[in-house]
Amino acid sequence: MKSLLATLALTTALTLPSLALARPVTLTTTLTNYGGDGAYLALYVTDPSGAYAGSLWMAGGKSKYYEHLADWYRATAGDPAQINGITGASVGAGRSLEITLDLADALFDAGYTLHIDAAVEEMRDSPNEIAVPLTAAGAGQPVKGRRYIASFRYDM
Amino acid sequence: MRKPLSLLAASTALSAAIGFPGWSAEPTLMEPGLMEPGLMEPGVMAPGVMEPGVMAPGGTPVLAMPGTAAEADLLVLASGDDDDDDDDDDHHDDEDDEDECDDDDDGCGRRRPDPAPAGTVAPPANGLFGTGAPPQVKVN
Repeated sequence: MKSLLATLALTTALTLPSLALARPVTLTTTLTNYGGDGAYLALYVTDPSGAYAGSLWMAGGKSKYYEHLADWYRATAGDPAQINGITGASVGAGRSLEITLDLADALFDAGYTLHIDAAVEEMRDSPNEIAVPLTAAGAGQPVKGRRYIASFRYDM
Repeated sequence: MRKPLSLLAASTALSAAIGFPGWSAEPTLMEPGLMEPGLMEPGVMAPGVMEPGVMAPGGTPVLAMPGTAAEADLLVLASGDDDDDDDDDDHHDDEDDEDECDDDDDGCGRRRPDPAPAGTVAPPANGLFGTGAPPQVKVN
């Protein structure tokens, strides 16, 4: 009986960390009433050295407009493989985009930064409109954008 | 008497042989073939360009002698569409090019394909995502 309990404790101890490797994180982006067409938004992450680590979401499905998301485009050359399966529609002025993603725990409190580039047709591009460090303490804290994004926050 | 007459005839013939082709080759504004394209088209010419005595805007005489500064002014007046804000016949700006691509995505040369929408394929294996629930999106 003792050995059975010990085995159970051991397997539980081994299983729990693996379950905690990722967690659902909700990213909420609210746009200003800028008075234009739907905004293209690129949400992506850079590592502690500032290098592109990967994309989290692309709002806007036409690749021909991606060059206007200047920083994201420079990092990826507009490669659609970076955003396959994480691309949705562009977001209208005044609307709020809420994305829930299963994100790796390793992204938090490890020097990673979440960036958002924004662009609107026939209006000025806004690269790196949001740049927010991913930390547990920063969760739920709204961050203001420069041009098209009224506020951004992540909750977990 | 015969000698001067024959000399006169010879010099006249020589003058005609040399002078007449040269005179014919002199360009004039009245020859459409020698003008810039479109000079003879209605509406392109300066008003009254073919009418003697009419002055173009700015006081330039419209019947100018070939090779003169006045002729250069006339040509500018007749052909000059230097301003950029007119017609859209031959001009293609970037937006027009993009619009052409709207109708035929396959005909846009080397443009990258559009990405696969969320829900149709798994997110990229970039190390940022867990293996749990697929992305959920909501727009309010």
